[in-house]
Amino acid sequence: MARRDNDIWWRMAWRNLWRNRRRTAITASALSFGFVAAVLMIALMDGMLEQLVSNGTRVITGQVQIHADDYRPERSMHDTMGGREGLDLAALVGAAGSVTGVTGVAPRAYGGGLISSGDETAGAVLMGIDPRREEGVGRFGASFVVGGMPGPGEIAIGNAMAGTIGAAPGEEVVVVAPAADGSMGNELFTVSGVFRLGMGGFDDAYVLVDLGSLQDLMAMDRSRIHEVAISVDRTDQADLVAARVEEAVEGLADGLVVEPWSVFHEQLYFMTSMMGAANGIIAMIIFGMAIFGVANTMLLATFERRREFAVARSLGTSGRSIVRIVVCEGLFLGLVSLGAGALLAAPVVVYFHEFPLDLSSFIGTYSFMGSAMQPLLTVEYSWDGPLVSAVALVGTGVASALYPAWRAIRVPPADALASR
Amino acid sequence: MSNEHAVRTERLWKIYPQDPRPVEAVRGIDLTVSRGEFVAMAGPSGSGKTTMLNLVGGLTRPTRGKVWIESEEISALSDRRLANLRMHRIGFVFQSYNLLPVLSALENAEFTLLLQGVPARERRERVRELFREIGLEGLEDRRPPKLSGGQQQRVAVARAVLGEPALVLADEPTANLDSHTAEALLDVMERLNRTKGTTFVFSTHDPRVMERARRLIRLVDGRIESDHEASG
Repeated sequence: MARRDNDIWWRMAWRNLWRNRRRTAITASALSFGFVAAVLMIALMDGMLEQLVSNGTRVITGQVQIHADDYRPERSMHDTMGGREGLDLAALVGAAGSVTGVTGVAPRAYGGGLISSGDETAGAVLMGIDPRREEGVGRFGASFVVGGMPGPGEIAIGNAMAGTIGAAPGEEVVVVAPAADGSMGNELFTVSGVFRLGMGGFDDAYVLVDLGSLQDLMAMDRSRIHEVAISVDRTDQADLVAARVEEAVEGLADGLVVEPWSVFHEQLYFMTSMMGAANGIIAMIIFGMAIFGVANTMLLATFERRREFAVARSLGTSGRSIVRIVVCEGLFLGLVSLGAGALLAAPVVVYFHEFPLDLSSFIGTYSFMGSAMQPLLTVEYSWDGPLVSAVALVGTGVASALYPAWRAIRVPPADALASR
Repeated sequence: MSNEHAVRTERLWKIYPQDPRPVEAVRGIDLTVSRGEFVAMAGPSGSGKTTMLNLVGGLTRPTRGKVWIESEEISALSDRRLANLRMHRIGFVFQSYNLLPVLSALENAEFTLLLQGVPARERRERVRELFREIGLEGLEDRRPPKLSGGQQQRVAVARAVLGEPALVLADEPTANLDSHTAEALLDVMERLNRTKGTTFVFSTHDPRVMERARRLIRLVDGRIESDHEASG
């Protein structure tokens, strides 16, 4: 048959699809519903993943970090960037900050020590920060229930620790910490504020100290830091930005390592990867179930038309062309369902994006793996979910037609013509 | 093998496996139909008329024996080659018209030409010309449900003959038609037979068809009971 006449099979498939409008409408509705369910479910899962990653990286760690190559995982106070000589901190921060996609750069130093107020003492992670830069990376600045970020000679503590040692803003506390020179540093600090992140492990253990003050306490030169935390505009672009930052800071010091959150937050990355895979499996289950339902309907439709197929074959139509008609019908069914599903899914996704489902009446915030899940079901805009679902939907239509198509050409024409 | 015949069968058998006993629908028929013949196969229900047409048309395979269409032995051809043979050399007219309901009268009629790869313009011209001849002018865009039985059967005949097959097999083509329509349809087929030399083989109960046939074959219980020239 001439190539330009191939459209006869498409025409026949399209017209066949609408011979039983009610049946087509019901089947298309089922597929459309499956599409909406898959898109919404994937969007909700994406929302949860985004929340997990966002809470896991935007609160403290950032999405990209720079360290000395031997700093992780022991996190020894001696393993500062650039070794014991340190590096040009302003140059490092400037270079990282100039990279496209970077939205904030925060240099940090860490130490461990004891914090005492009156008779109460608690162990603490001492986090030396540049308060102004820290605002662009973490959420400490927005988490103060009272007071604010520490200046020189000040510290900020979590609400749980404030309760443990009984300290409040304006009061003095003593901090004792091992110093880099082997001595024991101790200093009196004034509490500048109390923060509440709502995440276990932070509110009861982290103490924010002005970077310079902590370096002085730990007998470290001002050019020595342990970490640069970097925030990026798109979490899913962290790997790309990390590669760009690595290029930008190359040569500023030996042994600098730039890592995206998927490396330094490997548990969180594993968790989100698993959830992403679960998304795919659930979508496969939804459309897998649909395949059987649609195939059953198409089988019925092709059985009803077995005489027509027999007539077409008796006129010289090849089995391949018969298969093409049935598969084209499945394809059209998938496309029609996709159109209807897209019209339904779009407003639903937009609604849940704008108005997340608040489940706080039933469940509270849950923190794990250095992140937290809030009781909010929100959806994340993404093309991936709808695209995958669309391909799965159209694929379902086509796959559903394969067996009926095969059956349609198995019946000898004379047998089908003899049946009434 | 002579090229003068349109159809030849040799010791042709068709046995349908069925409980409690297999059904012998065609029992060792030897038949030769020459080119240009206008043949009616008559006989009671179950005599094997339709099975013979199906065997000759390659719609079912013989249990034993051979079938030639012109010089080609078809019993062992693949499905694909059989489809190709039907497309180019055999036309079918069925008792219940069997037009494809999603296609218009014109699309149904041109279907075989389309399969043969005839260009669209030529197809349309040939269909319109034949439609004029057989009284279907103006009905080109109607779908089968909007056509009367006679009109549908004329479209079916047009579909069968437009591809210019050597052989047209017609299975009780007048069975569902009123007398006037049946006569008109037979006129059409007879004219095509005379003007184009197309070979027609009918299965029929209809005396009007038998009267028009120039050769009448009577089948009983899957065998040829009689085979003689008719007044036609």
